[in-house]
Amino acid sequence: MTDITLAADAWQGVDEAVEALVDKWLVQAGDTVRAGQLLANVVLVKASLEITAPADGRIAQILVPAGGTFARGKPIATLV
Amino acid sequence: MPITSTAVQEQVWNRQQLEQPVVAPQWRVWTYAQPALVLGCSQRALYERVVCGVPSVEVVLRESGGGAVLTGPWLVSVSLVLPPGHAWLGQGLLESYHHLGQLHADALAELGVTAMALPPLQIAGTQAALAARGLPALDWACFGSLSPWEVVDAEGLKVVGLAQRRRQQGVLLVAGTLVTEPDWDVLCNALGRPDDANPLMRRTASCARLLGRRLLAENLATVLSRRLAHALADA
Repeated sequence: MTDITLAADAWQGVDEAVEALVDKWLVQAGDTVRAGQLLANVVLVKASLEITAPADGRIAQILVPAGGTFARGKPIATLV
Repeated sequence: MPITSTAVQEQVWNRQQLEQPVVAPQWRVWTYAQPALVLGCSQRALYERVVCGVPSVEVVLRESGGGAVLTGPWLVSVSLVLPPGHAWLGQGLLESYHHLGQLHADALAELGVTAMALPPLQIAGTQAALAARGLPALDWACFGSLSPWEVVDAEGLKVVGLAQRRRQQGVLLVAGTLVTEPDWDVLCNALGRPDDANPLMRRTASCARLLGRRLLAENLATVLSRRLAHALADA
């Protein structure tokens, strides 16, 4: 199983207390995805960012729904 | 459907730039004849309600983050698109904000407006000082809170707001500068927050207020265009 999250470099210099927001999911649990496929848009420090699939697989679970927030390093979904 | 307003033209231009790989910096500086309400991408759930609530004002959804902005003759905006790997992008999100915020602070200084790009480590203290004056952050409005390298006056009152959109094809940076005082009531009433108009007015500072005299939006647009051309030729 692989965690899907926002890359660490996006968080560089961002205050530890700041969380990101899942703006929109483009896939749902159970969907088969390809490496590099766009999965979600998230917002961090007024920046809209893309989350892409790190590998081929299937979305096992969406952990943070649209409108939910997540902290640095926390997965927003899992891929199997 | 014809493009009728600058606010719509701006959002169309922004979207089109990132639909293909960006190979070189491109920018536009926008001034507005008419008001329009621009919602951040994560405010799309508000769109229908706001459109119905203020039929006299055009409502536009942008693809970058942040809170709502009321464009109009009081605002000058910049759209800047950069290719992946451009020197201004550096590491993480904040470095690109630093470059664009500093460029705006320098442009304002050239016009006699004293303001600074706010370093990330000063955000919490500045927000706390404003809150102590009865001015807590209003996150629903772009000008209602502070983010790294946005441009503020000596009291932390916001003059320039920043946002960005990052795609694999490139990065869009946007900025908006308050040249004169917006009609905060229009913005706040549209979002169903009429009581926030006074705090928003007190949390912000227009160039005209800081200068103590009128500043033409076209003059700021000219200075920003020249500085962008110069800075990006060197980057």
